[in-house]
Amino acid sequence: MTTSKSALHGIRTSGDYFISTFLFGVMFGIAAVSAGLETWQALLMCATSFTASGQFAALEFWAAPLPLGTIALSVALVSSRNLLLGMSMTHHFDGHSLGRRIVWLALLNDPGVVNSFRMDAEIDRLGYVTGYGLSMMVSWLLSTWIGLNIANLVASFDLGTIDFAGPLVIATMMMLFFKGSRSKPAPWIVSGVIALLLFEIGAPNYLILLGSVLAGMVAAILQTRRDGGASNG
Amino acid sequence: MVDNSSALLAIAMMAGIVYLTRLSGYFVGLQLRHIRGIQPVLEALPGCAFMAILAPAVRQGSPSEILAMICVILIMWRSNNVALATGVGMAVLLFAGPYLPG
Repeated sequence: MTTSKSALHGIRTSGDYFISTFLFGVMFGIAAVSAGLETWQALLMCATSFTASGQFAALEFWAAPLPLGTIALSVALVSSRNLLLGMSMTHHFDGHSLGRRIVWLALLNDPGVVNSFRMDAEIDRLGYVTGYGLSMMVSWLLSTWIGLNIANLVASFDLGTIDFAGPLVIATMMMLFFKGSRSKPAPWIVSGVIALLLFEIGAPNYLILLGSVLAGMVAAILQTRRDGGASNG
Repeated sequence: MVDNSSALLAIAMMAGIVYLTRLSGYFVGLQLRHIRGIQPVLEALPGCAFMAILAPAVRQGSPSEILAMICVILIMWRSNNVALATGVGMAVLLFAGPYLPG
């Protein structure tokens, strides 16, 4: 499938996450007004960063004088899963120029990557993920703009419980990945168990992420070796 | 009130950091791809990251948050309908909280 057709396919199949992203965007717009961002600042942040979790993290610290170091660290930590998403795409973006890969990686997004693993082998995954990302970007900008404009209407509601919407959206991606990926679940289960153990001993968030992903990688390596040994034997 | 130049600086810094995380993972992966058997390991990484975020979030979740998570997982298991699962999960978060302990 050509790159442009794959991109269109990405846009067409992004409907579900377009809606989920839309809900998040409205909430981000409302939260941005509450934090004191001007409309152009919130929309510029959405267009250039394009990361819900990172932007919500930055809002927590948005007060004069801006603590740039703290904002940088929190955005880097919550965006660190992008490293893993990028690594998982290593074998799937071949056949494109280096320049195109560098530019289009700006639209790398979790649901696009997860859904690309469920697609047929003939799809162009860079085109698919980019098309998916364009759709998410439109949803993110439009919904943030709406949130910015309705913020005053909903100021009296307590939206604190909606903080957990982030893990809920991640759970939907986890289920899509679980049902659609060819990967076996053992590494993920190991990661989950180690994350719980690290959480129980009070490890900081970055150590939980780092430790549990490393443990999952070790499990995946062992599983690959075992499967290789079994197929050789 | 945050002045415009500080805000612009912060927004540019955030964009740079996020873009670097997107770019660097892919290029680190390119350096590793010659290693035999690395592909299944790299492709397991998003699932590991999701679990690393989800497990502690559920562990410290309130009853309404855990109920919302169960609803989302069940709907996804049965239908793969992301919009329905997210909508039901958020409705549980908003409306079930007052009726559950904790």
